[in-house]
Amino acid sequence: MTRKRTFAALRISFLPLSLFLAVGSAAAEIVPQPIAFSHKIHVTGYKLNCLFCHSSANKSQYANLPSVEKCMMCHRSIATDKPEVKKVAQYWNEKKPIPWNKVIDLPNHVYFPHKKMVNAGISCLTCHPGMDQAGTAEQKLEFGMGFCMNCHRKKKVSIDCWTCHY
Amino acid sequence: MLDRRQFLKLGGATAFATLFGGCDKVQRKLIPFVIPPENYTLGEALWYASVCGQCPAGCGIVVRVSEGRAKKIEGNPLHPVNRGRLCARGQAALQALYHPERLSRPMKLSGARGSGSYAPVSWEEALSLLMGSLKKAKAEAPASLLMLTEPMRGHAGLVAGRFMKAFGSPHRVTWDPFGPDAMLSANAAVYDVRDLPEHDLAGARYLLSFSGDFLETGISPVHYAREYGRMRGDRETIRGKVVHFGPRLSMTAAAADLFLPCAPGTEGFVALGIVHVMLRDRLAAASAAAGRLADDLLAYSPEAVERKTGVHAHDIVAVAEEFARNQPGLAIAGTAAATGPDGAFHCAAVALLNVLAGNVGKPGGVSFPNRAQAFAKYGAEVALLAPSAESGYAGIRAALDKMRGGAFRMAILSGATNPAFTLPPSLKFNEALSKVPFVVAFASFLDETTSQADLVLPVPTTLEAWGDDLAPVGHAGAVTLCQPVVEPFHDTRSMPDVLIAAASELGGEPAKALPWRSFKDCLDKAYGGPGGEMEKALQRGGFFGESSSSRSAARKGNVALPKATERPIDVDPKAFSLALHLYPSVTLYDGRGANLPWLQEMPDPVTTAVWRNWVEVNPKTAAGLGLSDGDGVTVTSPSGKITAHVAFNPGIAPDVAAMPLGQGHTRYGKTANGRGENPFALLPAGQTYALQATRVALSKTKLPARLVRFANPEGQWKISNLM
Repeated sequence: MTRKRTFAALRISFLPLSLFLAVGSAAAEIVPQPIAFSHKIHVTGYKLNCLFCHSSANKSQYANLPSVEKCMMCHRSIATDKPEVKKVAQYWNEKKPIPWNKVIDLPNHVYFPHKKMVNAGISCLTCHPGMDQAGTAEQKLEFGMGFCMNCHRKKKVSIDCWTCHY
Repeated sequence: MLDRRQFLKLGGATAFATLFGGCDKVQRKLIPFVIPPENYTLGEALWYASVCGQCPAGCGIVVRVSEGRAKKIEGNPLHPVNRGRLCARGQAALQALYHPERLSRPMKLSGARGSGSYAPVSWEEALSLLMGSLKKAKAEAPASLLMLTEPMRGHAGLVAGRFMKAFGSPHRVTWDPFGPDAMLSANAAVYDVRDLPEHDLAGARYLLSFSGDFLETGISPVHYAREYGRMRGDRETIRGKVVHFGPRLSMTAAAADLFLPCAPGTEGFVALGIVHVMLRDRLAAASAAAGRLADDLLAYSPEAVERKTGVHAHDIVAVAEEFARNQPGLAIAGTAAATGPDGAFHCAAVALLNVLAGNVGKPGGVSFPNRAQAFAKYGAEVALLAPSAESGYAGIRAALDKMRGGAFRMAILSGATNPAFTLPPSLKFNEALSKVPFVVAFASFLDETTSQADLVLPVPTTLEAWGDDLAPVGHAGAVTLCQPVVEPFHDTRSMPDVLIAAASELGGEPAKALPWRSFKDCLDKAYGGPGGEMEKALQRGGFFGESSSSRSAARKGNVALPKATERPIDVDPKAFSLALHLYPSVTLYDGRGANLPWLQEMPDPVTTAVWRNWVEVNPKTAAGLGLSDGDGVTVTSPSGKITAHVAFNPGIAPDVAAMPLGQGHTRYGKTANGRGENPFALLPAGQTYALQATRVALSKTKLPARLVRFANPEGQWKISNLM
């Protein structure tokens, strides 16, 4: 077998791995959602605090999604003619929850309490940059362990394993 | 033939397919609420205080609730009865809450009475059936209504009591198989108080336990276990000594410093033997009464007591001397002593020890606080809220006779004490009940009793209901509040709610007697309602303020010999060679816990057996009968016959067969049914409900299954090592 052939065979064998790595790093895709919600209109436009909708971000490990009832608090009377708002109203009328798709998914072996970060004064945009300009939610950063550790080291807070892994 | 190039191509393709075949991204959903429930934070637990309903001890609990689901039950640290502790039965209340066999809607009998076949009906239809029958009974013969429940406490008892009174029927009967009737009569005779005492274990230096299995069952096991712990470990230099007399090495006996086995139903004689030595050797403060007593006690010399009980005379003398020297000392009689052939005598003899030791009303002794003071405003009705702990055996026997005579047109059943299972079969409960034309049962599960009803109304469990409670011991007037810790899972209504609604529809006297909109309304009116004291009390779990003035005047007690009838067990000892000792199971209690798998799989602390019942025999006695450990046997008494496996217990008195109660259900769901047989079937239908009043014979039988044990005691319990 010539050297050229061997190289070609090796290339073919590694093709799957290289493809896998290429796809894996392309995380910033936009997840389709049932309603084309705009963070930009609510946060930048109307200056709503993140906690108004994600109301348990300072109380619980989960930031929480707003209930349909909370959407309708305003959208009973605001922008009722917009097609996306009409979709919300339809969910409300049918008393059905909006089936949002999950965008950010931390692995199960990590305990990440939103309340700890929010109550320590970390801005939401630190981990969710550009959310104030986004439409539906998108993930701009990779939440690997290095990402967390950088910040924890800088702020001189616990980097014990069992702070996050227990 | 595959050449190298083809092989590599194929290999590459396979690897590609393997790596990316499962790579379709599965979209995970985040579903928010349409309308979020109140007090709800995703991921954050809330703790609600309430009361445990798994046995009559009335411990306070706190329940961890996440996302509207109860996850874990713990003891309420503020509650005077259990101070943060909780037993396995209390923990298992979660399984009752989530039980797949729970009744979720009203059910109407669809087959023959007792067939157990029911068809679901709406609440409207169920209530119209109930009301139709109630209205007819009220108009024609109000006294033909029977209400048979477990002893009800707090305002639920008030609602039930007032309902029956206003309805015009005197037939309100309560039933509790371990109700300490004998102890109450003994206390009335000796202390002149017909109530259960507080035992200050924590302050005592010496404890004599007469079959007092207070660590596992008894009136309030968690309370006593905690007090026992304080007695042993809370004082710098005093450990406190425990001596246990009883027919069997129970968990409490195993925890004692000294265990002296005695024959069942002879505990009182041992106590009188100790009294005899104390007076003979002038170990107790001499008094004129004590002098008279000494003459009466001549028959109870240690030697005479040894012949009756099997406890060595020198042990009796040694214990008497130690008890007299180490004051304050306490003497406690337990369920087995109280349910002997002459329970009241045995309990009185034990109480006499406390009187002679002079520790009535003193720290480290016996006291009788006025526990029902919170309900003093109800005057004569206080008995409805804080009922005496009597079993009601006489009442239920009389009611059964009346049922057979056709005196009742309608019966309302409620509670976990399951008379069809816990009464001796020779009383023929089911047959008597079948003479009542219309039977309504309030229940969470179908069991042997409720499956005899025409109409079964589902009730919420204590974790889903409003209520209040007054624990039998362990406090000086604390009222526990019960609140729903979760939204009711099923379409249930509590019995007081249904009675209040029924009274309002009946109008007239019943409507006047129960003037509330609902049971919650009744509790709000009684405790000040939302915004008032009640709100704070609900957070704490109840009203626990105790004042020293609440303790009623300490009585010195009567120094008189209890009337010893010395009623022997009226069974031929030749045909039935072993005395039967029945005891409540540490896990299943009277059988109510048998449908919960957690309790079924919890090993018994002494035999380590699970999922079945057994008969404990002394290895020496068994050898005489030709039985080995694990053998199947038929246990025959003059009243009945059941099968069980033999479990050796070297710490049991010779010539005794001991069986735990609670197994042997036939209609209590798939977890409970067919696990062993029901030892209540061995009991005679006597004038008193006597668990220790019969003898049995054992004969070898082949049984299909074997007794599963967590550990085999044969290894460490070689008889030769113990004797």
